[in-house]
Amino acid sequence: MASTDEELVARSQGGDLDSFNQLVVRWERPIYALAYRTIGREEDARDVCQETFLRAFRALKGFKGQAKFSSWLYRITLNLCRDWIRRERRQPIAQAPEGVDLIDLASEQSPSESIEDLVARKEISQAVARVMAGLPEDQRTAIILKEYHGLTFQEIADMLDCPLSTVKTRLYQGLSVLRRQLDREGVGRHHV
Amino acid sequence: MCDKDRLVSYLYDDLADGERATFERHVRECDDCRRELSALRGVRADLVSWSPPQPDFGFRVVREPKVVPMPPRSWRAWWTPAAGLAAAAVLVLAAASAVARVEVHSGPDGVTVRTGWAPASATVPDGRVGEAASQTARGDVILPASSDGMDRSIIETLDRRLRALEAASREAGSVRNASLTGAGSARPADADIIRRMRELLAQSETKQQGELALRIAQVIRDVDAQRLEDLKRIQQGLRGVEASVNAEAAGHRELTNYILTSARQK
Repeated sequence: MASTDEELVARSQGGDLDSFNQLVVRWERPIYALAYRTIGREEDARDVCQETFLRAFRALKGFKGQAKFSSWLYRITLNLCRDWIRRERRQPIAQAPEGVDLIDLASEQSPSESIEDLVARKEISQAVARVMAGLPEDQRTAIILKEYHGLTFQEIADMLDCPLSTVKTRLYQGLSVLRRQLDREGVGRHHV
Repeated sequence: MCDKDRLVSYLYDDLADGERATFERHVRECDDCRRELSALRGVRADLVSWSPPQPDFGFRVVREPKVVPMPPRSWRAWWTPAAGLAAAAVLVLAAASAVARVEVHSGPDGVTVRTGWAPASATVPDGRVGEAASQTARGDVILPASSDGMDRSIIETLDRRLRALEAASREAGSVRNASLTGAGSARPADADIIRRMRELLAQSETKQQGELALRIAQVIRDVDAQRLEDLKRIQQGLRGVEASVNAEAAGHRELTNYILTSARQK
């Protein structure tokens, strides 16, 4: 049976590197996904992901378990992303290609999905990436944490140091902007 | 004005049972909230299609190796197969040159010939070698060993000189027998000395060959030991490469499995 994060953290704090590396394996994809969706650049997201684990490793002794280990990692990642955006002085860039490569698509196609559906999905994905990149940072972060990482409103509020109602407002505003932009671009399936 | 906080909470299924029921009653009556809820559900469905790339991670934390001060490198550390062969060649040359050093010593006990690393205490110019060799009855004579080529020529000169003395001795013996005079009584003794010198030279040659064989064997042993050490080092390097290749293959396997699993889930 796999160890819990808390068990692995405790063993890592005792100097067990293998345990920490198990945490890395467990969390590297979500952390990378968070960084990628926040800053929109593959290579930089990779660097942020790596730096997150390095910082976590260095600060592990000070982690007292007040929050979940994953929330702690997310917070480190978001801080690093914020630094990156500030340093680069620019909006996140969505690396969506202009065209749709059918060969690439074919490799992603699931057996039950037609090529038309696949092309439509890819177009929506690119449009979402573009529109998300244009959102204000706090709205984008709230949407990413809620939609893609399944955090509760309270966890997001704790992580972003803001009231619960602010989180909900940011979410509502962000989703509303997305809805309008996607409608304008003529993509999306269920907009009214 | 409808409560947007409540709408968002309902959208994410974050309302308690009572609150949910109340909000659902409201939505049934409020067209705006109903439309908005539907549109936001559509946006959420669109958001699902945005997936990040799947890079090959492979990032792991490893313990920093302890920095151990490097001991001064011994000559063995610099030893490479090529250096070993070169050194072996030099040793063979040195051994041959040492072996070629010949010392001829004549004393009250007779004549002795020695070879080896003992330094020459005196040298005789090449042109006087034959003369020096003929002085055996009067004192010590040490043949020069200034260079390998000269040593060889000295030995050849000595050999020629000995043959000439032998021939002269035979000739003198026959003349003595014919004239029946007693003046040549020392001649048989000279011939004996020459014979003994020949024997000693032969012994010396055998000894030289033995020493040379020993030195060559030693060089071969050294080269062989170094070769084994080099092989061991190469094998260690290959094991390291193999381990990293295996780790990379495992990473690829893991990524492939992940992609396949993701594809199946989709």
